[in-house]
Amino acid sequence: MALQDVVVMDVGGGSVKMGSARQPDTPKVFPNASAKLKGERQTFVGEAMLGMKDVLALSLRRPVDRGYVVDWSLQREILARALKGLLGGLSASACGLVLTEPYLNLSALREAAVRMALDELGFASIYMAPPAALALRWHAQQLPGLPANAAGCGLVVDAGFSFTHAVPVFDWRVLPAAIRRVDLGGKALTNFMKELVSYRSVNMMDETYLLEHIKEQLCFVSQDTAADLRAARGRASPFRREYVLPDGLTDTWGHVRTEEEAAAAAAAARQQQRQGGPQLPKQPVLQVNNERFMVPEAIFHPSDIGMEEAGLAEAIAAAVQAAHPHLHGLLWSNVLLTGGTSRCPGFRERLYAELRPLVPDDYELGIHLADDPVLCAWRGAALLAASPSYPRLAVTQKEWRSRGTAALAKWEQ
Amino acid sequence: MSDKRKLRSRKVSERMAVVDEADRRRVIQARLAALEQDNHKEDDFGAGSDDEEYELPAASGSDAEEGPTSGRKKKKVKVGGGMRKTRGMIEAKAKGPKVFRDFLEEAELEQLPEGAPSYMTAAVGPPRTAAPRKFCSVCGDLSSYTCTRCGSRYCSRRCHAVHTETRCLKFMA
Repeated sequence: MALQDVVVMDVGGGSVKMGSARQPDTPKVFPNASAKLKGERQTFVGEAMLGMKDVLALSLRRPVDRGYVVDWSLQREILARALKGLLGGLSASACGLVLTEPYLNLSALREAAVRMALDELGFASIYMAPPAALALRWHAQQLPGLPANAAGCGLVVDAGFSFTHAVPVFDWRVLPAAIRRVDLGGKALTNFMKELVSYRSVNMMDETYLLEHIKEQLCFVSQDTAADLRAARGRASPFRREYVLPDGLTDTWGHVRTEEEAAAAAAAARQQQRQGGPQLPKQPVLQVNNERFMVPEAIFHPSDIGMEEAGLAEAIAAAVQAAHPHLHGLLWSNVLLTGGTSRCPGFRERLYAELRPLVPDDYELGIHLADDPVLCAWRGAALLAASPSYPRLAVTQKEWRSRGTAALAKWEQ
Repeated sequence: MSDKRKLRSRKVSERMAVVDEADRRRVIQARLAALEQDNHKEDDFGAGSDDEEYELPAASGSDAEEGPTSGRKKKKVKVGGGMRKTRGMIEAKAKGPKVFRDFLEEAELEQLPEGAPSYMTAAVGPPRTAAPRKFCSVCGDLSSYTCTRCGSRYCSRRCHAVHTETRCLKFMA
């Protein structure tokens, strides 16, 4: 039976990217979590979280723990709800599925994923691949001139929500023995920032979801940490920003206070003082200063926060070292940055500065930031889903029923 | 009375003693573990009961007339929320939520042949090119001093004062 469509899902620790291969320009991106407001009954699941009007004191539940889906009932719920809207009248049994799989997945978790997709969601067939290989496909389509891309070779840095991986890829396949992982991702950074600002400014220990938003707006990667730290001292710090917290009425997410706003507030306060009226209620604001660049710093130097782990640059160097020496030149020439954390301004430049001393100087070092780091893997997966090789790679319902887990062996190669 | 007081001060001063290396490491580990946490509190009984105690007087304090009813309502909601748990949640609760570490142990990766790639082989390991930098635990600036009691870093007398008042691990050991 010919498939009517192939659904493409990139299930990450932070967000789910979902769409159909026939409409590769309009994937949905929504949090991979369910949220409950404090003291209320209603639970927002996955896609429904995008429409929330109140984001304060959410109780979040995530199906993913340390980068791997562990709560399959919640994960199924999140995906099934979003699928209903995506497929419309179409039945899942007429569709194939491309699903991303974490690197070096445990076999029990892989089987659980296939069981969910084929038995519970009812897809006709499934193909699972690690996001790095898929991201490189998209990158190769964007930059076909690069020799490494022609060979399907590159080093993909996947700076995701749960952890950060350096993944060498050759011939469109991940080299599993050479993968290196730093156990820090967007989630840890958010929580780290939460801890810092709660101690120094306003207690935000319950506001993980909001803090993530603030982090995305304000954080950047410093190019010279020591100099920036010196500049951040004192009142005149150029990095000082005030974030106006949401008031729960008009402003759902809050915003960074602009200079005009700050000036207007100061003027109003002065006026008030002169006239001697009652004090105006102060807008609750969150002060941030050196946190803006000290938070992403942890990815480059996890030892700063007490983790006995090497930073990202060293992880990349170790990953390349672990690959076959003939590949080193190609890998160094094509380092691809994907994943939400790599959106942080200055990430690419800093990584270049840290990586260059670790690369033998007869190799050229090329670092490319994916044009859309979050969706890069999804777009690559959509390419694969639309390509004629999908039916060959996918495991169908029939194979799964008759051969069980043995049918999945064909993905290993 | 005076006896009690003595006892208390004795106990406190014991706790004020220098925190040893093992405890310092434990505190750092706890802090790192907290970095992987979500804001999920359903199963946390302590936090749940705390919540209720906190909410009820607040509701009655803000508007006196509606106080008792809104308080009751809140309670009702809580009970209703408790009843409406799905089967999956009850099962999960009975077993306790399974986290990645459990799956990792079940997978028995150490049974794999030597050198086979797995979750364990991908860990990047300790740093080789850079020593850990030290930052003030109060303001985040570069720091040159270490708290003699708990080992946290600070950069100035001002930060040290803040640190001893708020964060020094005196009561955590």
